[in-house]
Amino acid sequence: MSVASTALTSPLRGEEKRWRLAEWQLALPLTLAFSALFLAPLLLLVATSFFNDDKITQPGFASWTKFFGDPFNYKVIFDTLLLGLKTVCATVVIGYPLALVFMDLSPRLQKVLLFVIIMPMLLSVVVRTFAWIVVLGREGVINQGLMWLGVISEPLRLLQTELGLVISLTQIEMPLMLLPLISVMSRLDPNLRDASAALGASRWRTLFTVIVPLSMPGLVAGCLLVFASSTTAFISQTVIGGVRLIYLPLVIWQQSLVVYNWPLAAVASLSLVVSVLSIIAALSYLGRRSSRHLQG
Amino acid sequence: MTFNRRSLLAGMTALGGASFLPHIAHAKGSIVATTYPGTWEDAYRGVIAPMLKKKDDIDLELAPLFAMDQIGKAKAARGAPPFDVFVLDPGPRIVGMEGGLFEKFDAKKLSNLGKLPAGFADDVGVHVSAQVVGIAYNPKKVPAPKGWGDLLKDPWVSRLGITGFQTTFGTSSLIEMSKLFGGSLTNPEPALVELKKVLPKIAAVGLPAAMPGLFQQGQCDVMYTNTQTVATLKGKGVDVEFVKPESGSIAFYTTMHIAKGTDQLDNAYKYLDLVVGKDAQEALTKPPYNFVPVNKDVPLPADLPMKSLDEMTKYVEHDWSKINPLRAAWIEKFNKEMAK
Repeated sequence: MSVASTALTSPLRGEEKRWRLAEWQLALPLTLAFSALFLAPLLLLVATSFFNDDKITQPGFASWTKFFGDPFNYKVIFDTLLLGLKTVCATVVIGYPLALVFMDLSPRLQKVLLFVIIMPMLLSVVVRTFAWIVVLGREGVINQGLMWLGVISEPLRLLQTELGLVISLTQIEMPLMLLPLISVMSRLDPNLRDASAALGASRWRTLFTVIVPLSMPGLVAGCLLVFASSTTAFISQTVIGGVRLIYLPLVIWQQSLVVYNWPLAAVASLSLVVSVLSIIAALSYLGRRSSRHLQG
Repeated sequence: MTFNRRSLLAGMTALGGASFLPHIAHAKGSIVATTYPGTWEDAYRGVIAPMLKKKDDIDLELAPLFAMDQIGKAKAARGAPPFDVFVLDPGPRIVGMEGGLFEKFDAKKLSNLGKLPAGFADDVGVHVSAQVVGIAYNPKKVPAPKGWGDLLKDPWVSRLGITGFQTTFGTSSLIEMSKLFGGSLTNPEPALVELKKVLPKIAAVGLPAAMPGLFQQGQCDVMYTNTQTVATLKGKGVDVEFVKPESGSIAFYTTMHIAKGTDQLDNAYKYLDLVVGKDAQEALTKPPYNFVPVNKDVPLPADLPMKSLDEMTKYVEHDWSKINPLRAAWIEKFNKEMAK
């Protein structure tokens, strides 16, 4: 290395070092907030789960053995994850075609559609949930409409069923699927479709070999958000699903705020965190794999 | 104009300091009291808060929470209560007493003590309202049921909405139902066995807070609930009537307690004194609030199933000190028996 180049790079390295320090300092408030507001409560939750009694005086594994010694709780965990997967599937089936339509719209109509997509998020989830009672109820819009058309003579049971819950969660969570999906798809080069068609690919082949793989990061992000949100949607699950459909959030609420067995509530909470994170990790892995596949 | 770090910090400090100004303006301070969500919250916001401000110049801040949630939050706060006054039903009241969550109550500080029936104030708190639990039904959809047993038969069962052991009225109703089938205060299992037999027919199994909404929407036309919920639904134009079951209505009292460690002790007594006073009790008794009063000078509303509070002694009452230790297991059992 020449003297001149050393003289040129040395001050730059010093500058770089200062910037590195500044970046570290900038991240400090967030790190502290994250540690205080997320990591510390999480550690407290883990510690609480290792007590045997609801007064939190006897350390032990009794809460863990009680929770996982009951086969009913396995069913609750399975049903919670299944609800999330069903909601993800429904939002993908409805949301993906909508995102495709979005791509073909004029910028003006895109703005209108974007507003329609975001609009439900401006309403409280409680309001949206109670609105679904009016829609799905025995005397609700769907039943009244079908009876008026003569399709049914007796009202269908839609409220307090898993079907009704998945339908409502699909609408409630739809913005979480569409926003990342649209964000990724709107950045796709429109010429790719023309190029694919020019090379003889049918529209379906273009969709499955060009559009879907390229939109995979948005799709995976949407799936993660919808899954995490729907599995933990306590209000929607209990108000629309009723208490015959038992999911982990209901068990956590009962144990923490009705019977005050906090160690058991902590075990149920950690089960929810771990099981949901496992699925999220699996979805992320699939997303990364598909990205690598595209790049490689 | 340019902003430097000093001017920005000064501005932020001034803004932060300004948030204290309203508190300085308060003459006698404020109090944070819990209230049940729904009618209780509306009533206390609409009636009690303005009365307290006018009479004692105290700002009432309401925290709408169900009884069990209040106990949960107070326990979690560990000596630093997030509110100054609790409002509780008998079961949570005992949990609060056992957990040492209440200040020792000096009933003599209430100027309205003489207006309350004997035993309505003790060294833990004061009774502020009575609740009567029975069966509500829609007279346009189903005939009037006679008792708890009818709920398990047609035509009522297919229009029945039930809730579990999370609330006082739910627990009490299931205990009474179980007594018809050999159960007792400490054994509601027979009710669960009978409910399970008809479970596919039952119209709704919901959280307690969701039941009035489900009834209003026609999802169910029969449910167990209290007279206040019936009166409130009626006020909203819902077709609903209250039935006193053959075996008797269930009665219990709602009580208020001062949170241990509160720094608003004097204001808490003033608040409680006002709540049991004639003016407040009279206003709360009227529609759309429909409370059952505890002040002897306030007559009971005509549509209640009893003519006086003394009559309530003949109603069914439950010993919650026996129920509380068993309730966690009952809730788990209810989950398992009712789960799809």
